[in-house]
Amino acid sequence: MAIDLRQTESETREQRLGSITGYDGTLEDLTSRGCAGCLKNKLRDFQTVSSCAHHHAINQLAGLDGTLVVDHAPIGCAGAQIGFSVAKNRLPMAPGDPPLEHAKVVSSGIDEADTIFGAIEKLKSTVRDAYRRHKPQEIYVTTSCTSAVIGEDVYSAVLELREELGIPVEIASGEGLRSKIWASGFDSYSHAVSKVRFGKPEKKNNTINYLGFAPSGRQFVDPLFERLGLEVICLTAGATREDFQRATMSVASWGQCSSQSNYICSVLEQEYGVRYLQTHLPYGGIGFERFFRDLGELTGKADIAEQVIAEEKAKYSEQIEALKSKLTGKRALVALGSGFAFEYTRVLGELGIDVVHTIAYHYDPVLDQNNIDSDLAVVADVKELKLNLDVSVNDAQEMETNLLMKRYNPDFLLSRGHEAAAWAYRQGIPAMDSEIGFVIMGYRGLVEFGTTLVELLGNTNFVRKFGARYRSPFTREYENLNPFSFYRKEEAM
Amino acid sequence: MEAIACEIESGYAWSEQQRVGCAVGGVYTALAIERVLPIMHCGPGCEGNIDSVMARTNGGQNADTYFESVIPSTNFCEADVVFGGQERLRKLVDDSLRFYDADMFIIIDGCTAEIVGDDIEEVARGFEDARVPVLFASLPGFKGNNLWGHSQILSAIIDQYLPAQAGVINPKQVNVLGVVPFYDTFWAATLEKLENTLRELGLEPNIIYGRRHGLANLDKIPNAGFNLVLSPWVDIDIAQKLESKYGTPFLHYPAVPAGPTETAKFIRAVTEYAGLDRIKAEHYIREAEERYYYYVNRSIRWIFTCRVQPKEFYINSSAVQALSLTRFLVNDLGFIPRRIFINENVPEEHHGTIREYFKELELDDPESIEIIFTADGGLCDQYVKSEDTTFRKTVVLGTTWDELTAKVLRIPFVPVSAPYGDVIVGLKTYFGYDGGLALMTDIYNDAANKGMGTVN
Ligand code: SF4
Repeated sequence: MAIDLRQTESETREQRLGSITGYDGTLEDLTSRGCAGCLKNKLRDFQTVSSCAHHHAINQLAGLDGTLVVDHAPIGCAGAQIGFSVAKNRLPMAPGDPPLEHAKVVSSGIDEADTIFGAIEKLKSTVRDAYRRHKPQEIYVTTSCTSAVIGEDVYSAVLELREELGIPVEIASGEGLRSKIWASGFDSYSHAVSKVRFGKPEKKNNTINYLGFAPSGRQFVDPLFERLGLEVICLTAGATREDFQRATMSVASWGQCSSQSNYICSVLEQEYGVRYLQTHLPYGGIGFERFFRDLGELTGKADIAEQVIAEEKAKYSEQIEALKSKLTGKRALVALGSGFAFEYTRVLGELGIDVVHTIAYHYDPVLDQNNIDSDLAVVADVKELKLNLDVSVNDAQEMETNLLMKRYNPDFLLSRGHEAAAWAYRQGIPAMDSEIGFVIMGYRGLVEFGTTLVELLGNTNFVRKFGARYRSPFTREYENLNPFSFYRKEEAM
Repeated sequence: MEAIACEIESGYAWSEQQRVGCAVGGVYTALAIERVLPIMHCGPGCEGNIDSVMARTNGGQNADTYFESVIPSTNFCEADVVFGGQERLRKLVDDSLRFYDADMFIIIDGCTAEIVGDDIEEVARGFEDARVPVLFASLPGFKGNNLWGHSQILSAIIDQYLPAQAGVINPKQVNVLGVVPFYDTFWAATLEKLENTLRELGLEPNIIYGRRHGLANLDKIPNAGFNLVLSPWVDIDIAQKLESKYGTPFLHYPAVPAGPTETAKFIRAVTEYAGLDRIKAEHYIREAEERYYYYVNRSIRWIFTCRVQPKEFYINSSAVQALSLTRFLVNDLGFIPRRIFINENVPEEHHGTIREYFKELELDDPESIEIIFTADGGLCDQYVKSEDTTFRKTVVLGTTWDELTAKVLRIPFVPVSAPYGDVIVGLKTYFGYDGGLALMTDIYNDAANKGMGTVN
């Protein structure tokens, strides 16, 4: 489906793509239902806390260079931004980078009276004051559950302020109540920033765009792209207006994963003809070979691409064999965001590890891409590599994941960010939160990842002794449940 | 600076650099009581939003019995705005009773459920016969911050769980109030040490939060000889409530004592109030002071040899840390306050008394100290960045928001309150004699690391 940037706000993933947060079955079955609406979502009666689109819209916008976000919400909704601000400021610095600064997120502080009388004037004065204090290049106003429920006309205020301040002022809607999928917040960010930062490209350049959270590890991959005559532009935390403008002139884009990156990649393809490489992501050896071949073809440098692939493979083959001898036969459970869950399933397989079950935090049966002829990355793996295993989809529903850990009792759990690793440790199962992005690209990435796994399993004294103290704080009824017991009886959209 | 001045005058309501959670942050008070589980009627991200500022980025904390990720939540959605979410909540409570071996459940709601008018009280009433108590507390973020939420949770426990009348009063038992779990990054270690100190003085402290406490300690609340409130304003309402319900008197001590001067004062105040053995207390103080100065003496060569001395400080923090640490820095370390920002949106009725507490300082002119009450965590930042500190040896105490400013300006910095930082806090506390030594150590170390170290 095409993206319409003339709309005030992006549609949610459920609306646009028919994305789901409840499923259990096999990967083959899941990927065979590739059309928006063909895949029935399973709703849950029993749920635990999750994450919210709003939060992800803000952290992405506030991470860019020169932006300020005004959150039109009660004070609490911007409470998690410190975590991102700290992370952003720990990224490695390059010579010439601007001095470290905190993410600038200002809350309009909707209070009780505002829920009755409205808070548009408060929003306007907040934007004006925040502009005066920080003099940002762009201001994004995020809407919240509360501003939506009390029916605030935020867009009119945004138009007025845009005129008044003479800088881009844009709305980014990411109300948590509109979508169960927190990745919808990435879309809100993408929609807003695309409207503000992209403009007519002047020419084509030998550049390639990378969309992701952070540019960490680019030093490992820049030289590979240079061989194809390509310079990587990172549209990540810290990206400038100029980076975005240059991105429209690139030959191609790819993203860290489909959740965070697909909207902007699709806009670039649809509006500016920048090819979106979404079928083969470059993680691990297999991923890298397929990705680099595609790129070689696209740039007319297939021979150089083959040469680079052969060199990289040769360079790391001995180390990979050594890792495989230590890891073959280990059993892993994966719980990750929808993009990385299946990428890592393949990468673990490359190291000889048996993935017993993969949990994805949501699943998009289709993406926004224009080139419909190209498969989703996970679909490609099913077709090309005959990848198949038991999978399920839950939006970080830890009570479900815990039961799956119990059912499979894996040698280790691979996860990221939503506490599954902490629960694994508590129950005596080694676990690690995975790296994403450049760091795990190619054979080098495979060696780095494999080495970490060998270290993880090399001494399990801590997890064994800590886990031995665990006393379940749940009832026997829960402990004996089938992991997929929380679905609502009737299946609904 | 002009811009700052007019911002203050205009009494603006917006804020940046969030240092409090919204009212939903009250769930951390519930989670701090062993085997108590909140059930949230909120959006899917409300917990995550308070979690970062109050737990994860506040010294790497997480809940104990029930990690945050297993807190039941209706994850309020668009359909609930139209149809109401009460039925879904009822089902969720029902399931939670079946799945969690908790001793108490507290249903809470956030902004959206509150606006659409879902009645959590009615839902809770439906579970009056459940195997464990099911309480309720409204915590919409638009009504207040996590401190308001904290008070709502404690009030719910007092009103809905504790008996109407006290049992046999134990004159030695003291309930400890005022320390807000999780939000006060040092809460766990502070309460452990405080418990030991009170016990050594001859009392039987009753602390409801933390390890090996829980419902048994809640049950003892009505029978205390007195309540002790250790904070300038938080929990005074709770102590008053307990006074009117059970007639329990309370001792209000406005600071969590740090360092020898304040700790001695605190011990004497408690001894006097509770009619404890004065000789024992004086002996305790003498011994502890001697030990404190022994350890000061062991580093005195390092501190005073070829080193520039940090002297003046900004503090941008909660009311309790601002007051407690200012007293230590001024009275024991001989520092001078530059400006004090109290950024937890203290209700106006307490501003006057808090200003008075800051006058109890061993300074020539304590009246001249500038104390700024604000909800805007970023205000201090504006001052620190714009004020001329060329000839001054300045230190900043605050949160990890301030840490970056201090890093860029190469000013010594120590985190003292939420959000403390993306690090683990361990057993750190600045309470008592050891706490004073710990803060002294942290300040001098960071000064040295920031290059305020050796004189040229
Ligand atoms: S302010 Fe309201 S909507 Fe925002 S996190 Fe708090 S309870 Fe949730």
